[in-house]
Amino acid sequence: MTELSINGQQHRLELEPETPLLWAIRDTVGLTGTKFGCGIQQCGTCTVLIGKRSVRSCGITVGEVAGKEITTIEGLSGDSRHPVQLAWVEEQVPQCGYCQSGQIMAAVSLLERNPNPTDKEIDRGMLNLCRCGTYPRIKKAIRRAGQMMEKQNA
Amino acid sequence: MKIVQLNRREFLKSSALAGGGLALGLSGFAKLAEAGGESALPPYLRIASDGGIHLGVPSAEMGQGTHTTLAMLLAEELEVEMSQIHHIETLHHPDFKHPTFREWTNSAANFQITGGSVSIRAWHLPFRKLGATARELLRTAATRQWNVPVAECRAVNGRIEHSGTGRSLGYGELAGSASRLTPPENPPLKSPEQFRLLGRAIPRWDTPVKVNGTAVFGTDVDLPGMLYGTVKHCVVCGEKLTGVDDTRAKAVPGVIAIIPLEDQAVVVADSTWAAMQGAQVLTLHTTGGYSDLSDESIARQFRSDLAKAGVPVAHRGDPATAMGKAAQVLELEYEAPMQAHAAMEPLCATASVTPEGCEVWAPTQSSDFAMMMAMGVTELPPEKIKVHTTYLGGGFGRKVEYDFITAPLVASMVLGKPVKITWTREEDTRHDFYRPPFLIHMQFGLDVHDMPQGLRAKLVGPAVSRRWQMPPPWLEENGYDWVVTIGMFDGYNLPNRTPDLSKAYAIPNLQVDFVPSDIQVPTGAWRSIGTSHNTFALESGLDEVAHAGGHDPFELRRKLLTHNPRALAVLDRAAELASWGKPPEGRFQGMGYTDYLETYQVQVAEISVSKRGKITVHKITCVADCGQVFNPRIAKRQLEGGILYGLTATLKGEINVQNGQIVQSNFDDYPMLKLKDTPEINVHLLENHEAPGGLGEAGTPLIGPAVANAVFAATGKRVRRLPIRPKDLV
Repeated sequence: MTELSINGQQHRLELEPETPLLWAIRDTVGLTGTKFGCGIQQCGTCTVLIGKRSVRSCGITVGEVAGKEITTIEGLSGDSRHPVQLAWVEEQVPQCGYCQSGQIMAAVSLLERNPNPTDKEIDRGMLNLCRCGTYPRIKKAIRRAGQMMEKQNA
Repeated sequence: MKIVQLNRREFLKSSALAGGGLALGLSGFAKLAEAGGESALPPYLRIASDGGIHLGVPSAEMGQGTHTTLAMLLAEELEVEMSQIHHIETLHHPDFKHPTFREWTNSAANFQITGGSVSIRAWHLPFRKLGATARELLRTAATRQWNVPVAECRAVNGRIEHSGTGRSLGYGELAGSASRLTPPENPPLKSPEQFRLLGRAIPRWDTPVKVNGTAVFGTDVDLPGMLYGTVKHCVVCGEKLTGVDDTRAKAVPGVIAIIPLEDQAVVVADSTWAAMQGAQVLTLHTTGGYSDLSDESIARQFRSDLAKAGVPVAHRGDPATAMGKAAQVLELEYEAPMQAHAAMEPLCATASVTPEGCEVWAPTQSSDFAMMMAMGVTELPPEKIKVHTTYLGGGFGRKVEYDFITAPLVASMVLGKPVKITWTREEDTRHDFYRPPFLIHMQFGLDVHDMPQGLRAKLVGPAVSRRWQMPPPWLEENGYDWVVTIGMFDGYNLPNRTPDLSKAYAIPNLQVDFVPSDIQVPTGAWRSIGTSHNTFALESGLDEVAHAGGHDPFELRRKLLTHNPRALAVLDRAAELASWGKPPEGRFQGMGYTDYLETYQVQVAEISVSKRGKITVHKITCVADCGQVFNPRIAKRQLEGGILYGLTATLKGEINVQNGQIVQSNFDDYPMLKLKDTPEINVHLLENHEAPGGLGEAGTPLIGPAVANAVFAATGKRVRRLPIRPKDLV
């Protein structure tokens, strides 16, 4: 039995503690916005937040995150109006969309630390893969979201 | 344990692609048309009582934006806003057999498919007509209700208005009576100057669900009582299963069943993770397989097949004489290795099979191929099978295949429950239908002015369509395979096989041959098919011709395309926008041109190369004339995305085979381009009213030669094999 707090909700799950968080989120809790891409923390489609830190959920076990605040794409906002989501819509980022939950969570974590990142900082902070080639818009959307977040915090 | 034998060869023979059997097999499907009874509108256009439009479309949405563009085409003529489109799905329907594939194969290939960059090219008029038909029916319904002349009623924003009295009725109120009318034969279509939506950068319809995690991809299908599974294939190409040792796999908590098939075992469990763990410790006993197969053995085979006479692809003039008279002959050889598709969504599918019927949910590029697989496995008639196409987390040609539909069907049949199968990344990488490897040999004969008067090219590699049993003239008995020869003076010459070379480079004497050289690694359609290797060879070769003769590569292309005004326009614009010939200090430029998909396109790459051979791509200028454009943002992003897809294959990894096994397995040993590697990309469209050209694949084949030609400008080293390795440049 493992207790997980996902998007503010407590879940008591009958899972071995070494189960990767990704599969607990997808198959047990049934939140499928977080994707499986590689299983070895290379692609980032499974990115979620633990606290404010972005984590690749395929590489962390439910045992390690028990009791911590986990946020998935579904919990980012109730109305798709988190600044990063708004910026993603404004810039029309997604194509196939499969990697975008992970990209958005990675961007949220980057901007929480630094709403006005330099190009280098975006390069270093955004290592998730996209095969459709949405990178140029991801970059633009991060800048736009950062501006919105700075305004909100001002 | 008994291996489940699927008589795949038999059912492929009886029901498959060959000779249009699939169409016959599906003839019962027409009767299946989704509820709705007798209606003037087809079941894929439903107007709900609230006026909301529910639309079924032929094309799978895998990122190209076709759901949005098709809805725009309909909404334009129907006179509704995009916000009134309440639902769009890829619907399996007999009306959606692809007209272009029929045209390419003299009607033999008759199936619903998304591929070949022909969604919008094929469906733009049918969807406009569909919208116009519905609009006219609604107008007529209103005029009958009001008893006024049709001319006094017009369609505006989801309503029919009567000009005389100012009365109006919403589409939802009229839909019922409209559906009982006889549809007009030729409803008038709007002229381009009347367009409200078409030609504008309308936001994608699928963006909202793709930023909040609610879009349902193949991996996300969830059914009551569903089991989860994964597959483990034999590792050596061609190996077959004789049995399994599943003692350890069955000991993994949650593992429910192991089902051995011909070349793979399916592991089913109560979660995907348990299934994947089970698969990891499952031992496969195998027989056969081509364990001697390697990159080296394939290279040797190609080398020896190069001496063989090929199958003619294109011929004009007198190439033998031209070569004899040439002042200079350049003899060049280019190679392209295998590449995997590596869509971000690994292969997956879900099936629910009961004695009464079967449903399949899959991220498939062809619902008909999924249907065919379901018919073959379940032996149910087509009217008892339903195929649902989910969003695709990338396709790129991989998901046109149907191998990944087998496992969930069999598992659901055996276990009597719905089963969702998700491949691991390792399985996805190692059991792909790869971009075929190719060896391309070219001889350019140059005259005293250093202009190419003759070209002899021989393409050596597998005929990938053989496995698809594509009907002639696509694939011919002698081995001619349009899928791999396209891009080397082959153009869209189907179905007549007389290449239309009127728009190609003006090299007067040509001989292009293809030597089919099949290999035991499965190969298939990789975004841009034959153009991928052929454009690399041809556009790099022309760069070599330019440098050998002291021509500017841009000027040489211009001279060879004076008869093609659309090509000249993109060349000139690209040279201007990229500041061709005037790169910033320390940077170097390379160029390529293609008319693939009837999209005339130039790409200019601006790069620098470090002392250690590290290439930085700074800027890519892409100018394209793809005729009429319905959504310029979606169009540009197809080119941009295609460029980045091609750039990974230019700068990153490749697929190797050793001891009959694929060497690469995941993103750690098969790396992809990242955001930090992404150059500035400027895409410019030269819009006009020509027929729309293809875009989904167009960006991909050109970036390789553009970068390779820039590398030559920077280093003097000619790249004749992709991907470019830093060690080749130092």
